[in-house]
Formats: sequence, C-alpha cells, structure tokens
Amino acid sequence: MDTIVSIRDVVKEYSLGKVVVPALRGVNLEVKKGEFISIAGPSGSGKTTLLNLIGCVDTATRGLVSVTGQDTAQLSESALTRLRLNTIGFIFQSFNLVSVLTVYQNVEFPLLLQRKLNGAQRKERVTQLLTQVGLLDHAKHRPNELSGGQRQRVAIARALVADPQIVLADEPTANLDSATGAAIIDLMKELNHTKGTTFIFSTHDHRVMQHAQSVVRLADGLISGRETAAQAVAHSLGVEQAKAS
Amino acid sequence: MTGFLSELALLFHIARRNLFTTFINFIIGLIILVGTCGQVAGSSLLSTLTSSMSKSVIGSAAGHLQVYNDASEDELAIYGQMGGQDPSLEPITDFPEVKKQLAADPNVKNIVPQGIGGGLITSGNTVDITLAKLRDLYRARDEKTPSTEGKRLTAEGYAEQIASVKEHIRQIVKVIHADAAKADALRDAKTVDPSEQEHLVTAASDAFWADFDKHPYDSLEFLENYIAPQAGDADMLYLRYLGTDLEAFQKAFDRMYLKEGQMVPTGKRGLLLPTYYYEENLKLKCARKLDKIKEQLANSRRTIATDEELKRWLKENQQQTREIVLQLDGIKTKTATTALQGFLKSDEKDLNGLLAKFFDMNDQNFHERYDFFYAQIVPLLELYRVRVGDTMTFKAYTKGGSVQAVNVRVYGTFEFKGLEQSPLAGAMALMDLMSFRDLYGYMSKDKLNEIQALKAAAPSKGLNRETAEDELFGQGGSVVNESVTSTIDEKQELSGTTAKKRGATLDENTYSQADFEAGVVLNVAVLLKNEHDLEATQARLSKMSTPNTHFRVVTWQKAAGVLGDFVYYARVGLSSAMSIIFVIAMIVISVAMIMATIARTATIGTMRAIGAQRTFIISMVLAETSALALFFGSLGAAIGSALILFIGNKGIPATTPEQYFFFAGPRFLPVLEPMHVISAFFIILAISALSTVLPAIIATRVSPLRAMQTDE
Repeated sequence: MDTIVSIRDVVKEYSLGKVVVPALRGVNLEVKKGEFISIAGPSGSGKTTLLNLIGCVDTATRGLVSVTGQDTAQLSESALTRLRLNTIGFIFQSFNLVSVLTVYQNVEFPLLLQRKLNGAQRKERVTQLLTQVGLLDHAKHRPNELSGGQRQRVAIARALVADPQIVLADEPTANLDSATGAAIIDLMKELNHTKGTTFIFSTHDHRVMQHAQSVVRLADGLISGRETAAQAVAHSLGVEQAKAS
Repeated sequence: MTGFLSELALLFHIARRNLFTTFINFIIGLIILVGTCGQVAGSSLLSTLTSSMSKSVIGSAAGHLQVYNDASEDELAIYGQMGGQDPSLEPITDFPEVKKQLAADPNVKNIVPQGIGGGLITSGNTVDITLAKLRDLYRARDEKTPSTEGKRLTAEGYAEQIASVKEHIRQIVKVIHADAAKADALRDAKTVDPSEQEHLVTAASDAFWADFDKHPYDSLEFLENYIAPQAGDADMLYLRYLGTDLEAFQKAFDRMYLKEGQMVPTGKRGLLLPTYYYEENLKLKCARKLDKIKEQLANSRRTIATDEELKRWLKENQQQTREIVLQLDGIKTKTATTALQGFLKSDEKDLNGLLAKFFDMNDQNFHERYDFFYAQIVPLLELYRVRVGDTMTFKAYTKGGSVQAVNVRVYGTFEFKGLEQSPLAGAMALMDLMSFRDLYGYMSKDKLNEIQALKAAAPSKGLNRETAEDELFGQGGSVVNESVTSTIDEKQELSGTTAKKRGATLDENTYSQADFEAGVVLNVAVLLKNEHDLEATQARLSKMSTPNTHFRVVTWQKAAGVLGDFVYYARVGLSSAMSIIFVIAMIVISVAMIMATIARTATIGTMRAIGAQRTFIISMVLAETSALALFFGSLGAAIGSALILFIGNKGIPATTPEQYFFFAGPRFLPVLEPMHVISAFFIILAISALSTVLPAIIATRVSPLRAMQTDE
C-alpha cells in the first residue's frame, strides 16, 4: 500500500507567554492508503495536535509532515486550504455543522467550495451520501432539529462528499452514547471498506479502538507504540483496571 | 447552476438566514431603515424645495443665469444681501455688445437687461389731498371752470360740496388737535413749539370757520402752511424696483401677469407695482388687516378667540380709526355714521366710537361685518393710497450719494403665477430702464437734454481755463446779463411746477428699443432653452467675456444671494444630518458585525478547515451586511417613498408668506424621483460595504484550528 501520510521527527511546541509547551516531541508515523487507524492516548497526549498537523490546519515547529506526498511546510495558506478541500475530510468531536444551513446544504457545502460539479451532479452526490448515512428524509432539517448521532452522520456525509483520500475524525464518538457511537464507527468502517478511504481517528475509548486496523498510542507527545486493535483494547482495559484498583 | 452562482446563492442564503438570528442585526437593520428612509425623504424634500425655489427665483426675476460686471465689488444678490442692502455692482456699460455675445450661444432663449435699486415713495398726506380738493372747488366755482375731477356744478352744488369738504377739514383739524394734545402731554415741555399749539387752537376755533368763506384762499393757505405739516400721516415707504426692458421681461418671465391696469405702453416710461406690496403697503391698513384675518380664518385653523395675533390686529383696527375718519368729509361722515348706527343698532353719534364698536369682532360676526365694511364703508374711502394711473415720486440715493427724484406713472399691478402670496416675489416693482437709470444717477439722454435746456435758459456762458480769470475779473469780458431787482414769487418757486412739468414731459416721451438698450444696466438675466444644460451654458458664456465686456456669469442660485444661500445651507444641513446618521450607522454596523464575527469564529473556523478560502469568508461577511442593507434599505426606501408620495399627494400648506416663495405656490408638493431611491440604495450599500472592512479582516484571521477547539 502507498503511504498517504508521512510524519518524520515532528516537533510541535506552543508558546504560552514565555513558557514553551511541547505538544509533540519528535513523532514519526506512516499511514498507508485505505488504512483505518486510531490514535489513542490520554488527554493531553497530543492526539488532536497530531490530527491538526495531518489535517493541515496547523504547522509543525520542526520536522516533516507530508500529505499525499506534499510537504505541507512548503505550501502556501491558499494551497493548504485547497489541499484540505480536495484531499481531507473532517469529522469533529462537536460535529461543527453550520447551524443556519440545512442538512442538505451542510453536506453540499464542500462541493460548492470545490466548484467542480454542476447542480445536478451535486444533487446526485449529496443524495447518495445522505442515503448512505440514512438521513435523506432529514435533508431539509436544520442541525438543531437532529439528535447527536444524526448530526455526526451529517458530519460524516459532509466529510466524504468531496471524495477525500483521508478522513480525519477527532473523538468522533465522544459526544455520543455508546450505541450511537458504535453505529457511527460501523458507518465509518463500512465507508472505509467500500470506498477505500483512509480513516484516521483519535479516541481514548477502547470500544472504538477495537474497530481499528491498528492503533497508534501516544503518550506525552511521543508515539509509544503501534498496536493491533486487540492489543490496544487489552492495554486500555489494563490501564483502566489499574486505575480502578 | 454553475459553481460560482451556487456559491453566491449559498452566501446569500447564509446571510438571509443570519438576518434575524440576533437582536443586534435588528438594531443594525433599524439604523439602515431610518438612514435610507431619511435619505430618500430628505433628498426628495430638498430636491423639490430647490426645484420650487428655482421656479420662484428663475421665474420671478433671476432667470437661469445672471450676467454682471466682473469688476463689481460685491456679488450679485437679486433679493438683497444678508442685512438687506443691495450689493454694490459696477454697471455694464455696453449692453448691446454683451447681448450680442450672449445671444450667440445656442442654448440662450431670452436676454433681459436689469438693474435693481430701492427708493422712497410718498403719497402725500390726507390733509394735503383734502385741502387741494377744497382749493380746486373754490377755483372751479370762482372761475366757472370744471374741477379737476371734471365736474361742473351748480352754485348750490358747489356750496354743498364746499361745505362738506370744509366739514371734513374741520374734522381733520379736530383729530390733529386731539392727537397733538396727547403728544404734548408726553413730551418734554421744552420741546413743544407754542406756535404749533396756537395755530391748532386757531384752526379749531368756531371763529376761524365762521370767517372762512370771507377769505377762502387765505384760510386755505393758513391750513396748508401751519396745519398740514402737523398731520404727518403721509407714509414714506421703501420700495425696491427692478429696472428692465418691460416688454422683454414679460416675454421672458411668462409667469408674470397683470392683475390690474395695463402694461406700460411700448417705448414709454412707467411702473408696475407688485400686487403683494400694493395690498400690504398701499391699501387702507384696517382693510388690509381684515383681509388677512379673513385669509387666516379660511386657510388655517386659527380663530379670533384663540389667536393672539388676530386679536391684536382687531385691537389695532379699533384704536386706529383715525385713518378712516380723516378721509371722510361731512357728507361721507354722516353716511358712514348712519350706516354704522343702523348696522350696530347703536345711538352712538361719534364715528370714532362707532368704528371702535364695529371693529370689536369675533368669530361669529366677523364675516358679516367684513362684508358690511366692504359694501358700505369702503365706497366712501380711498382704499389705496396710490391708484393705477397715478404718478408716484421715487426718491433714491444715486451711486454718487446725491438724492434723485423721479416721477413715474403707475400703469398697473402684477403678480407671478403661483407666487401671489409671496412677499419675496411681490417685493419688487417693475420699472422702465430710463427711470431706473435716472434714479441710479447715470446720465441719460433726457437728463442731458434737461441740463442743456437749463443752461440755455440761464444767462451763462462757457469759459475756458486759460481765459477764465480775465473773463471774470478783467476788463475785456463781455457782460452776459445784468441782474435786475425783483420780488421773489414764492408760490412760483415752491410750487413744484418745474418738477411736475418735467415729469409730465418725461411721461410723454417715447423711446426706441435702441434708446432702452443704449444705456447702462447692472445685470442681465439669461433664460435658457434647456435648463438642464445650466452649468455647461454658464461655462460657455463665461468664456465669451472679453476685456471690453468683462462680465461674470452666475447661476440663479448664486444670484439669489441670501435665498440661494438658504438652499445651500439646507442642503449642507441635510447632508450633515445624513452624514452623522451614516457615520453612526457605519460604526454600529461595524461593531455589530465584529461581535457577530467573534460569536461565529467556530463556524468560520470550521468553514476554513473544510476548505473555504479567505475570500469566501470575506464574501460571507459582505453578503451578510449586504443582505441587511438590501432588506432594511428596501424597507426604509419604501417607507421614505410612501411618505413622500403621501405628502406629495396632500401637500404641505404654506403658512407664512415666505413659504409661498419657497414652495412656489400655496402648497409644497414634494416629488419622488427614482434617482433619490437609487442613490439612497447605493449610499446605504456603500456604507454597509465600508462597515464590513474591519469585521471581514477579523473573520479572515480566524484560524481553521478554531474548528478543533470550540464546541458549537
């Protein structure tokens, strides 16, 4: 499989006044096309920072971040925006739907920014995605008329509508109950299978992790290991038991 | 739909959806609404006011453009400068040449020479007029010739008329005597002339009147010399006049029409009085006040019971019955007394008392008494101090500072259509150019002839400088004339016969068009074929000025002086008010949009993360303010337009005489022009766009990272 994301010796530091806080301290990661991987770790371990760098919404302090073969440090602001639009789909923890737009319009939004398809093609594409996420009947609803799970399914449809090569999901089930969360993960997995889209999602929930092909474990800004889903679940459960005892 | 149009549609969809999401948007909308409404209504009102005023100014004297000597000290001000005085203008000495140059422009329709001045007019006092009437009756009786009124009476007829006029004069003397007694009581005793009192006592005595017919001419002379000067009821009135080519004026200013009398005959000297001035200043004061009360009762909601001014006018009429009593001779006094006694059902015998009771009017009896006054009392009186056909004497300071008097015959009264009630349009009399030039102090052909005639009549001889001493004091000079001792004929010298004769001669003179145009004028009114081409024509005409003609061309607005300034200041006032509203609007919109942007950073961040370029974010903010501007601007424009259409349909009545001029008629009828709505729209869109700059900058600085950090 081809490498779609390559992270090498990436350091990310944040300045809080005179204090420099390291978020990532020399991370190396390779993600292949079509992978369905999870980034796990406790809060503050650097999961979201790593996703931000892969998603080109932030830049590394040092090191190389390459997405679809492009060194993101070398791209202009405008080019990075285009890269996000055409290559990456985002699923946010809080869904981040545009409240004044309908479900249909939210999903159509990236297509309008792309200006590649005509009206009919867009309609076909949006309808297809809404059907896939089971929300065609809610096309004219506004986000505030939907449940949390429905909103996240809209967000998934929006993330996939422009046919991205990578979908980044930051704690996609964090705000959902376990059943809905499981359904969302199933949906993502199904799309990964059917379309071959690369999914990288962060989570610290072992029930979610178990669906991943592999789990990248982060701790204190460093990758502590890359595990199988089963190993990761066991690891997580061990940690939880240790905490409980 | 293409991607671009779809994106645009999405932007406006977002903007439309955001329109009513926050209260602050509603506030912004209200400001935009008020601003647009104010802009549409204000610009319509001002434009119509300017248009109405332009009609008044252009149509009543100024024309579209005015031309005057560029070397003038002051700027031309047709209606006077601030403070009331006329501007100091250098004359145009070669009007024919100026006319020729101006006429070459294809847009010039009429060229009217003008000159504005002001002078004092007197109409003589009632005593003088009545004494002259009595003298005329005695002369007609004694010489057996018709009186100046053309009547030849029988001996009994003369006796009756003379007795009646004598009774009238006796009444006048009584009034003057009573007035003098009141005045003396208020004056410092040192300033009272005892001889004046003595003369009044003599004239009021029964003995004087018993002996009157024994020496009628001596008695008349006594009254003329010692009593008439004490009467003092002759008004010295100031009247502005516009010296012009009257025919050219009438042709060019077609709103002017004759109300009474006739046009000054071609080639003649003459005067046309403005009806407003004629009514206001030359009509019997109590009658004029009654007219004004009637107008006010009819045209406004004022009532005598509640309006202090109307009450004051009636009070003045009650106290100022003198002007009526002084005019009535014995027969007419009796007629008036009987009529008033009958009308008022009163036994009062004194006419003053009856008139005071009569003028004690209220809302219930006003109209009945008004009609009675005009039907029964007015026919006994001279309603106007000057009548059409009379000759008026104008006295004015010439440019050199000396006083010049000119007699001019009144041929009629005139008005400007729609400006009948305007004191501004009705303030200037129209005078022939010859009389104007005389009053202004320029050497006219007539004056030159007069001086030559005087020189010929006087025993004088022209001397040159070199031989003057010898001629005057040397031996060789020839005698021009020898003085002869004789008695001075005071009557002949002081009777004013010469002046009357001169006036009569000038009245008879006929002038050619070339005569009228040959002399100086102060300014020239230019009327255009296409008034929309005003500025361009002004520029073209200005370029025609040569060192010989050396003229300046100004628009009607500039030429209108204080009135033109009024339009300017009204425009500045409105623009300032609107600018303030718009600046406030801009600040509020900007602040509100910044707040809205800050509140939506997560959404903006999400859009940026998904792939929206900065231009899209700018467009989104711009679209939002544009949507606000379009929605509330449309509403404001609609309300403003409806307001103007409503007012335009009903009209605002002119409540003061000045408003008649500003409104060019009795009602102000604002007109809504599409341009006002369009311009208001563009202004509000521009304001909105400007307001967007700062919020848009802030919005573009929102990082896509915000999407990952904040909960929706």
